[in-house]
Amino acid sequence: MAEYFGTKIDDIFNTMEQRFLPQGAQGVDASIGYNISGEVGGTWKLTIKDGTMNLESDVGDLTGCAVVLNADAETFVGVTLGKIDAGDAFSSGKVAVNGDLTILGNVLPKVFVPFTPVVRAEAIIESMPERFRPDKAEGVNMKIGYDLAGDDGGQWTVIVKEGECFLKESLEADCTVTMRMDAQVFVDLNTGKLDGAEAFSSGKIAIDGDMGAAGTSAKLFAKFEVPGADEKHGEELISLKCVPSINQRYATGPLMGKWFKGLKEKKFYATRCPKCGRTQVPPREICAACRVRSEDFMEVGPNATVTLIDTVYYASPDPLTGKIRETPYVALFMVMDGSTPDQSFSHELNPKDINRIKPGMKVRPVWAKKRTGSYTDLVYFEIDD
Amino acid sequence: MAKKKKNRNVGIIGVGQTEYSSHKEYQNQAEMVNEAVRYALADANLSLDDIDCVIHGNMELFEMVHQPDMWHSLGSGAFGKDQLRITTGGTTGASLVCAADNLVASGMYDVVMAIGLEKLQEGHTTGGITNMADPLWFRHLQTGALTGSTASMMIEEFGEERAKIAAMKYRILMDKHACLNPRAHRRLGLDYDQMENLMNTSPKLVGELRLIHMCSQSDGACVMIFASEKKAKKLSDKPVWIRDHITIHREETFNNFGIERPEWTMRNAARKLFERNGIKDPLKYFDVFEMYDPSAWWGLDWLREFLLLDGDEHLKLLENGEFDLDGKLPVNPSGGVTASNPIGATAMLRPAEAAMQIRGDAGPQQIRKKVKHALASGFGGTMWTVMVMLEKELNW
Amino acid sequence: MKRIAICAVAQHKCNSNQWDKRFQGMLLDVLEEIQEQTGFTFDEDTGVRNVITCSDDVFDARTISDNGVTDVVGAHYRGEEKMAQEGLNGLGYAMASILAGHDDVIYLAGHCKESQPESRNVCTNLAYDPFYGRPMGLDFLNVAGLQARAYVEKSGLTQQQMAKVVVRARQWAARNPYANATDQVEHGEVMASPMICDPIKSLHIYPISDGAVGFLLASEERAHEFSDNPVWITGFGCCMDSYFMGDRDIASNFALKKAAGRAYKMAGIKDPKKAIDLVEVMDCYAYQQPMWLEGLEFCKDGKGPKFIDESGPAKYNVNLSGGMLAGNPLMIGGLYRAAEAALQLMGDAGEHQAADVKRAVVQSTTGGAGQFHTVLVLEQ
Repeated sequence: MAEYFGTKIDDIFNTMEQRFLPQGAQGVDASIGYNISGEVGGTWKLTIKDGTMNLESDVGDLTGCAVVLNADAETFVGVTLGKIDAGDAFSSGKVAVNGDLTILGNVLPKVFVPFTPVVRAEAIIESMPERFRPDKAEGVNMKIGYDLAGDDGGQWTVIVKEGECFLKESLEADCTVTMRMDAQVFVDLNTGKLDGAEAFSSGKIAIDGDMGAAGTSAKLFAKFEVPGADEKHGEELISLKCVPSINQRYATGPLMGKWFKGLKEKKFYATRCPKCGRTQVPPREICAACRVRSEDFMEVGPNATVTLIDTVYYASPDPLTGKIRETPYVALFMVMDGSTPDQSFSHELNPKDINRIKPGMKVRPVWAKKRTGSYTDLVYFEIDD
Repeated sequence: MAKKKKNRNVGIIGVGQTEYSSHKEYQNQAEMVNEAVRYALADANLSLDDIDCVIHGNMELFEMVHQPDMWHSLGSGAFGKDQLRITTGGTTGASLVCAADNLVASGMYDVVMAIGLEKLQEGHTTGGITNMADPLWFRHLQTGALTGSTASMMIEEFGEERAKIAAMKYRILMDKHACLNPRAHRRLGLDYDQMENLMNTSPKLVGELRLIHMCSQSDGACVMIFASEKKAKKLSDKPVWIRDHITIHREETFNNFGIERPEWTMRNAARKLFERNGIKDPLKYFDVFEMYDPSAWWGLDWLREFLLLDGDEHLKLLENGEFDLDGKLPVNPSGGVTASNPIGATAMLRPAEAAMQIRGDAGPQQIRKKVKHALASGFGGTMWTVMVMLEKELNW
Repeated sequence: MKRIAICAVAQHKCNSNQWDKRFQGMLLDVLEEIQEQTGFTFDEDTGVRNVITCSDDVFDARTISDNGVTDVVGAHYRGEEKMAQEGLNGLGYAMASILAGHDDVIYLAGHCKESQPESRNVCTNLAYDPFYGRPMGLDFLNVAGLQARAYVEKSGLTQQQMAKVVVRARQWAARNPYANATDQVEHGEVMASPMICDPIKSLHIYPISDGAVGFLLASEERAHEFSDNPVWITGFGCCMDSYFMGDRDIASNFALKKAAGRAYKMAGIKDPKKAIDLVEVMDCYAYQQPMWLEGLEFCKDGKGPKFIDESGPAKYNVNLSGGMLAGNPLMIGGLYRAAEAALQLMGDAGEHQAADVKRAVVQSTTGGAGQFHTVLVLEQ
């Protein structure tokens, strides 16, 4: 099977059970579909419910899933390993998501230990010449045979001669010592998951030939480092969260003060520039264009004509409350009745009108039942029909 | 220059940029500043002793640091020196270039080093931008710098298909340029055959403004060194001259979407700048335009404004490849803002990259034809514009 | 010598809680006053094309805080640049813009409302790096305490002398219509006020203040169009010290001496004691008055306390505005100092006018414990 970044697609799915965190899955009820394209792709359906997971492969039809992740194999593996930036992959269309995108971000990190590359016997053996320590091999000449059984197994001979180390992809007849075991046992021995002496005494390892040489051979090679383990043993990124919070007391000034008072009375006040006559709503101390104080109040609206519609899909936090806005919502730009045509006023649209609203339509304000002279007095606008 | 003659000319003699990327976890802000400062000094072949004044700019509320130039002095080299701090939102980087020009031209300083930086990934960008709106009324509605208004206006004017294709083509062109720029943050490797797919499947942000169209949020710093004409000629064999600059702001409120719409500040600034410099045909005059394009839609729309074009002239130029590297007027050889956006530095990258184009050492994104006249723009606030004109020769 | 003109100044009276106006309203008052004094316009050919503002995003709790003032400083379809340090630096930058030839008339306006955030100390805590200084709880008040302690050790400054400074500040503030804290205090009252940050007592600390201030600046050629009696900026210098308190000799006035040296040099001043008739220092805390006066060379190192006892401040017309101690907001404390100095030079300082003022020096700080100083020289 093809490998990307040293990992097979199957590794990611085959390790899901062992990486599953039941405690993180409490209260989760989700079905996630994976639609991986390419030769080594496939379809998987992951169902998480009642604190357990169920993974089906070759599903074919993923329509029942709450969210489906579509990607080619290389991108999928790359993003999973962090070798490809998820944001870039998403922006450039290499990863496409149907359904509720938030499930991927909210559920997956809670229910799984992050995937780290599966270590294979082959990789360990192939790294032996690199890990060879000539300073420990003075006067040592030997041939170490490895006969590993299983799917990821194979036969190799590691030759140590005159301070150098070579690898052969076959089992030589004249090995000084030959070690036979299951490939997974070999991996576990080299990744610290299994103790050598225990494995030997429990019959997991068979050694033919010079036992002493077996012991010596271990000292000739530096420890195998699991890729990605460097980040664990190296510097750890420590994250401290600190939320500075400074309450603010804003003055409205007399003009905005009158505006808010007006809202309480279901009225919209504007100021009119004494020079150019433009109406500013909400009222502002000065006409920015004429640079003269403008304090002539007048009423405008309450209805308005829509000039521009912005349908917002991106949920951003409200900086005053920290709450994430519900999307989609529509930001309306409108010219109030009685206002000069060059001055737009903006507010939100009643969600029920999202599909009907068009520029040119008339809208009317919807007021809160209880009004206190604040922003919340004006709930939104809706189509006036 | 407007009324008076400039007291003395100012040349750019050094440019330093960090790579632009996602969160630089390995560097704090002062260290990142220092990296760019070292590059700029090396580029100019100067030491800190040669710098008379340091100017600094970033939008501190993104990183939530009060008076950050104080902390950044650890890396800026401002110790013992004059130091000023100018911050104007998205236009900060360009304002710093204008300020450096003023400071050196005045005779008060001979060599000024300007530092623009941001570590956007140390804050919430959209939240930070929303925070620019008045807290009592307008903040509730604003969603950062995101709006679909330009897209809907362009769709109305040119038809949905042509407009969407043009915006996508522009976006892909920017990405192709970014892929040449070793410092660019996002190099997506897009191709024109993805246009159809991307313009219909990229998630919508606001209206037709989709994720693919929008600028990145980057960490990075840019530093430029400026010197008086006399010193620039002595210290550098390829100084780039600042011919003129203009800043045009707009009132506090986004009230400009009424039935009648005002002239955009881009066109207003361009008109004034070109008129007072006797430039009748900017498309012909300039050899490169590093434009601050926060989204593909804005970038495309503003090309018409900046170049004082009409109708669909800008679309035709795009469709005919005239904004490509080998076109009539290459736009954003660096990849522009959609590729890299460290806000406090972004507007400085524009004149920085333009200056390198004039010098001929912009790297893989270098334009083949000789570059003698460059234009750079900055954007920020409530649709503010800053424009800077750079020249290879003192030709005015 | 190169110089630019201050044609007019306008100060908004400082209050501890200007609840009835938002800062836009305060700035509009200032603009109108300047327009009334000078008749200047924003005409693109004959008037102001570029504006310099001074404000702080953290104190305003507003990203791009200059965005909020655009309308009331006339920057609509004009240029505007925000000077994000203490405002005195804005005057230096205006000087550069005019001397460069880029502009010949500039309007400069600064504002700050310390009453808006619930704690100005939490605001300044954010000036410290997030990893060490901030969690330790450093802010401009307690680092001032550290500096005050170091200065006391070096110079022998006493509580009595600090009380003298405060009493005198209030006496002068009472004659300044723009000052905030004009209540008179007795020596004993200051001495008995609660210890806030040893050796800083509560009455040594500048009161929380809201304010706004504006200037009209012009080139030499055009100054006469706006004023019969302009005042000239002839010297400017500023300087940055190290950031970490432990890296600095915090009683040494390192940055102030350099800044003053550069400003005096530009203004052609060799002996400030002889050349200067009036001084305005930004004394946020009482100990800073004698300390900054040392840095400005009005007395020798360590002799600030003696200078106080010998009535040096009276002799040199120090802080006839009442100084920062009488209450101005942090980010524009220096601009208020410059406004006072300008009025004195113009002869418009009313009840607190000094005689024969021909040359003045103005100082401000930015950052904690005077990490950054700015000095301006003004003359008739």
